[in-house]
Amino acid sequence: MRATSPERSGGEAPRRNTAAEARTAFAAWVEEAPGGRSFGQIVVRPLPEGGYELRHAADAGLPDGDLDVHVDPREAREIAKLTEGGEYRPLKSSPNLRRGWLLRVEGERGLYVAMNYLYPSAVVHWHLHRSGELEITTYRENAARQSGIYKRVQRLSDEGVQNAARACCEDAVCLKKTLWDVDENTPLESERGEGEIPCPEPCSIFVSFARRVRLFERENKRDLDAIGLSPSEKEDLSALVEAAATGSVPLAREAEFEEPLNERRMRYRRLTLVPKLRPDGDAATPEEG
Amino acid sequence: MKALVIVGHGSHLNEDSSLPVYEHAALVRDRYAGEFDEVVECFWKEEPSMRHVLDLVESEDIYVVPAFISEGYFTQQVIPRELGLSGPVTRRDGRTIRYAGPLGTYEGMPDVILERVDDLLEGKETRPGRTALVLLGHGTDLNKNSSGVIYLNAERIRERGVYDLVEVGFLDQDPPIAEVVGGVEAENVVLIPVFIAEGWHTRETIPEDLGLTGEVTEMADRTVFYGAPVGTHPSVADLIVSRARETDEREAELARDVS
Repeated sequence: MRATSPERSGGEAPRRNTAAEARTAFAAWVEEAPGGRSFGQIVVRPLPEGGYELRHAADAGLPDGDLDVHVDPREAREIAKLTEGGEYRPLKSSPNLRRGWLLRVEGERGLYVAMNYLYPSAVVHWHLHRSGELEITTYRENAARQSGIYKRVQRLSDEGVQNAARACCEDAVCLKKTLWDVDENTPLESERGEGEIPCPEPCSIFVSFARRVRLFERENKRDLDAIGLSPSEKEDLSALVEAAATGSVPLAREAEFEEPLNERRMRYRRLTLVPKLRPDGDAATPEEG
Repeated sequence: MKALVIVGHGSHLNEDSSLPVYEHAALVRDRYAGEFDEVVECFWKEEPSMRHVLDLVESEDIYVVPAFISEGYFTQQVIPRELGLSGPVTRRDGRTIRYAGPLGTYEGMPDVILERVDDLLEGKETRPGRTALVLLGHGTDLNKNSSGVIYLNAERIRERGVYDLVEVGFLDQDPPIAEVVGGVEAENVVLIPVFIAEGWHTRETIPEDLGLTGEVTEMADRTVFYGAPVGTHPSVADLIVSRARETDEREAELARDVS
């Protein structure tokens, strides 16, 4: 395994089983906190009679009877699949885990299975990060191995990567703690996040978003109009005005970055378009009134 | 310990894409509990990623089976790259990772297609006359393997002589599926998508382009029976296991080749 290779001492050495270590370490960490540990949007606590209980942190104070009780750790996958509103969740660390459920699992294996559906890979990465062994892959390293329709992300500028990370990775849209940088010498400038789940490498959602931002960058160079707006910026503004004029702004799906009214795309516009529209004002300060 | 890792494409936009992988994984856990200690799903566009899935696996003997129809860009380039595989057998850090071939080219695939046809036709009336089986593939002019696997399965089924005609049609290359379904000389046309999952094509574009109203569509001169994608059939779980077992059989020879 990449993460364990520094530990390798030769072909005959017993294999270090990082996944099993992580499973045990996570369960022990939970056992140390009878009141429960928070992780992402959930609270995990050891049960006095043995086993573990998981629920949404916002449901921490609710009586069990108010929640749908599950006992099969694999049902965590269904719990994690859709938002409260029934939207598909392509990124399990988005802060949109639904409430209203309670999962009781037996043993650390059950806990590990459930956790890997709620927050895939998170437990093992949490463990490796705590022991200082998590291998980090920078944006440039990740981009270098992309191919096909994603090859163009190799040409995304450093500024584009910074803005894409601010738009795509901060806690408002993803609860992972971003540990990777643009490259070895260029740290990310965005807020890396406060949560327990490490993010060791740009994910496929980020790469897809980076591809879209690269398309924006390309048009910026050639297609600006007299007031400095790009065709896609004008498309987004038009879509926003038209939607708002009907009384509601229905957002595109979470990873539908080719649609104007996508939240991450709009977050990117707030960073790059709003300063153009309000050259003298602070983009983050709303107007009084 | 032995682990089976099933690799799916997955989707950023809809949950249909990964569903067959989860369902087959669940079936393998039930049916082959004594054979695999772990059965783990991973994806290109969902989590856990191929890049990180081996971090989650505890076993030292790992069988990777791609839930893809044809040999091509994903099975030859993306999956080996993301999983860090050096060939059909990769030995790394005390682990052996065996990489199986895609599902569509496996010799057991025609049986799954025919099971799908039986499920579709069960309890339904056919017209007197000929019955044609039409296999629908995605196809792409970029890679001959994409259509090749459809022709391969058509030929294998043709050899069995079960149907009067066995034809192929595609979404993105010739012959176009609408021409095949409308033109084949048969009173009953059984159309089976050789796809892994339900999705936009199987639910929307294909029925719309062909004027299908459901599983059975009566047309002036023919009845068209439209099946679910082959990849969602429960027998695919067995096919995945067969693919994994096959890597053992060829391992010794292949290991010599890559070392």
